[in-house]
Amino acid sequence: MNARNRFAARNRVAIAGYAQSPIVRHADRPLGAIAVDVARAAIADAGLRVDDVDGFTTGALLPTAGGQAAVDGVSVVTSNWLAEALGVNPRFCSGFQGYGQIPGSVGLAVNAIASGAADVVVLHRALHNPPRGRYHANPMTHASGYAQWTAPQGFWGPLSMIALPYNEYLQRYGATRESMAHVVAEARANGARIPWSYWYQRPLTIDEYLDARLISDPVCMYDCDIPVDGVAAFVFTTAERARALPHPPVYVAGFAQGHPMRHRLPQHWPLDDIMDVGRETSERLWAHSGLSVRDIDVPQLYDGFSPLVWFWLEALGFCPTGEAHAFVEDGGISVERGGLPVLSGGGALGNGRMHGVPQMLECYLQLSRRAGDRQLASASTGLACHSSPHFGGAVVYTAEPL
Amino acid sequence: MTTAKPLPVPDERSAGYWEAAARGELALPRCAACKHFTMPPTMVCPACGTTTPRFTYEVVDGAGTICSWTVVRDAFLPGFQDDLPYMLVDVELDAERGIRMIGRLVDGSAAMLRIGDRVAVTFDTIADGLAVPSFVLTSA
Repeated sequence: MNARNRFAARNRVAIAGYAQSPIVRHADRPLGAIAVDVARAAIADAGLRVDDVDGFTTGALLPTAGGQAAVDGVSVVTSNWLAEALGVNPRFCSGFQGYGQIPGSVGLAVNAIASGAADVVVLHRALHNPPRGRYHANPMTHASGYAQWTAPQGFWGPLSMIALPYNEYLQRYGATRESMAHVVAEARANGARIPWSYWYQRPLTIDEYLDARLISDPVCMYDCDIPVDGVAAFVFTTAERARALPHPPVYVAGFAQGHPMRHRLPQHWPLDDIMDVGRETSERLWAHSGLSVRDIDVPQLYDGFSPLVWFWLEALGFCPTGEAHAFVEDGGISVERGGLPVLSGGGALGNGRMHGVPQMLECYLQLSRRAGDRQLASASTGLACHSSPHFGGAVVYTAEPL
Repeated sequence: MTTAKPLPVPDERSAGYWEAAARGELALPRCAACKHFTMPPTMVCPACGTTTPRFTYEVVDGAGTICSWTVVRDAFLPGFQDDLPYMLVDVELDAERGIRMIGRLVDGSAAMLRIGDRVAVTFDTIADGLAVPSFVLTSA
């Protein structure tokens, strides 16, 4: 462990409160209006007033391949839009531009507070399911720019994007869809216990998974999180101030992000690209936080597409490369069988397309001991991932300062 | 009437690629500074970092090795509905290690494919003067 890389702001910034809207297919109110209500509720939950907030951050991407317009307040909600709607003139207002919007924006919030640029930062994420047509269907007649390298041959959208490395994994390691069924069933079993989830009280059996329609082999419809309307917000402040607020603080111990290192066609994710950068991201995360994979009680892995759970398990070191499928089949991530609770919060597959929010929320709820009847006995440390290991990132949280 | 597939729009950096494709040849952009191939061409050479790569298109034989594949069963773009299901293969080209392309596999079935199977490039003419590369199996 290289102390030079240790996160200087470790223990200095904490989450003090949160709020989340119901997760629904199509909300009956504009996304911006929901975001304002959720932000106000999160600020109140933290025991603060809107006037106390002097910072905002988010990652406002509309994650579709369908070419829908990103309209602020309608299909996306930026920090600037939210601050203005709340009537705040913030000292710090920012948006994360890359993928892995949750770890990316957590980094911005933590850095702003640790540097003194802000005292109280609202981090929100607003996700929108466009009202008409299919989510990723794109009506283009001409493929220009980057699209010219893929669209004319029918390679388009994230389903084929993830299908290629998924199949590469199946072929290389002799894994099967039967093994992946355990990932999805676990997410849905846990999501079915969560009242705000789109999938509340609707678990999925292994047989239902295996009978599902294939979209881009080996990806079937249940390997993909379902597009939803939903907003979540978290309130960050200094550790000192958080300790004086109503809820137990949850501290940020470190974070790391990955970036693709090889130039590729658009949406071309070879398995080795994912894993090579993923292992580097993981090494940085452990060095930054000063913890190791064995120290994590609540590891929340990203599952917007189910194969990402296997990739994160291996990249982070929860199991050796090529063995995640067997690890999962042996009960390694089954809460019922005493495995790692990597999907205890239901993930994206068990909640809906909330883009890293379920992972962060589960870390917060468990570490602040606010998870109610889902509370895990051992919940001192947590890890929340988002996106792919080579495009996204991860944050390590602790219930006590390290 | 059949819906048209999206037509590639050649630009300053890609014109050489599409001109070669129309002739039934695969031409890859090669950096004038470091001589490495790059796909797709970009403003900064990923191999050497020059900001003036002055790519020239060089014809390669288009043979390669299958790294992965998928069977597409849902059309997300116009013009592909009648082709469903179709196969896409992720191919590492012999021309340079690490250079990979994705294209239709116009023969064979998913059940018979293995990683490492060999393919050759072929072209599908989709409009006057526009052809799109795809692949055919060359191994038994």
